[in-house]
Amino acid sequence: MAKGICVFSISLLLFTGIRAAAQDTVTVPLNFRAGFDIAGPVLQALDRDLVSYGAVAAIDLNENFAAVGGIRYSSFSASEYSYDFRSRGLTFVVGADKNFIKPKMMAGKHYAGIGLRYGLTFYGQEAPRLEYTNPWGTGASSMPLSRHAGHFLELTPGVRTELFPGVTIGWNLYLRLLLGAGTGDHLKPVYLPGFGDGSSGVATGAAYYVSISIPYKKIRVFIKPKPVPDEQEGDDVTIPVTNTGRSGTGSRL
Amino acid sequence: MKSGFRITVLVLLTLLSPACSEQACYDDTDPLVNVILLESGTGAAKESDSLKITGLSGASPVELVTAKAVTKFSVPLNPAAETAEIVIQLNGIADTATITYTNFIHLVSPECGYTIYSVIQGLNTTHNIIDSLIIENKNITVDGERNMRLFY
Repeated sequence: MAKGICVFSISLLLFTGIRAAAQDTVTVPLNFRAGFDIAGPVLQALDRDLVSYGAVAAIDLNENFAAVGGIRYSSFSASEYSYDFRSRGLTFVVGADKNFIKPKMMAGKHYAGIGLRYGLTFYGQEAPRLEYTNPWGTGASSMPLSRHAGHFLELTPGVRTELFPGVTIGWNLYLRLLLGAGTGDHLKPVYLPGFGDGSSGVATGAAYYVSISIPYKKIRVFIKPKPVPDEQEGDDVTIPVTNTGRSGTGSRL
Repeated sequence: MKSGFRITVLVLLTLLSPACSEQACYDDTDPLVNVILLESGTGAAKESDSLKITGLSGASPVELVTAKAVTKFSVPLNPAAETAEIVIQLNGIADTATITYTNFIHLVSPECGYTIYSVIQGLNTTHNIIDSLIIENKNITVDGERNMRLFY
């Protein structure tokens, strides 16, 4: 009996799936994107101590997910009353973005979602002047240039839209969690390139990207239609379509 | 389109706000040697009638602590040296303690800058009123942990 119910259920699912494929599909272009962060140069105009140039590339894996990789060069210098500090480095990030917009609405042009990235930064830091004063007097020291590798996780919600055909703009907020600065507990960098304040375990901020977008493939996505109530009186049973998916063979442009 | 423009302006303001703000230092940046006063024999906390701590450094002595009726005190070490000679005057009777230590740099925060932590390597004292001075924790930081027990 149980086996019979199981076979019936599977048959029902298959049937409804075929029905959905026949009725509700949308074609979504998958894109390759490459862009740069314009927030860095804007900030540099206001704060000449921080130089930060970032570029990012992404490729849509399907209608929901994109693989992302990025590179950023950062240079920072600070001269405070008790210390001078300099750091510079190159940061690489890899990860994925999840688009929450429905395939029918996004049409390969719009994005509102969240990304998770892993960042690895190779940097050097030095402090040519360090001073500390207490009742005994002032102790002066310095920290010579030393090279380290730090790493972090980045959670980055954001939005993106098509400005012109082939050009997208979008901004991302980011929340970065430092996994390790590579320096030990005492000489964490005042500014960890690609991350932010190295003395804090968490950094926040935003980036504003302008990208070119090149479609490389189109896929057909089955979408979930709204359940239609059965018109027969006294019978409230509806069969919601639960199967969503893509066609296995995408047509290349 | 209008809401998109507003969101963009908000994001740009968020981006720019850190560049405009100057942060103040609220962290403790002074590493101190924390000492508790104890009674010889019983080991109970013993309050001093008077206490004066003077650091001997260079040409002129440095007054570090002057207090009455205390059971503990805290003194900084000389950040420019690796030996500190300290005169501990307890109830009018003076002893001299010599502390040897090594220093290293520690970042407190970008706002507060760096401080100098120390690790005690050795300790000697005279015994006019002090019975013994024992190292409990040799790391001198800003954590506020107790470093020495002074029996008298």
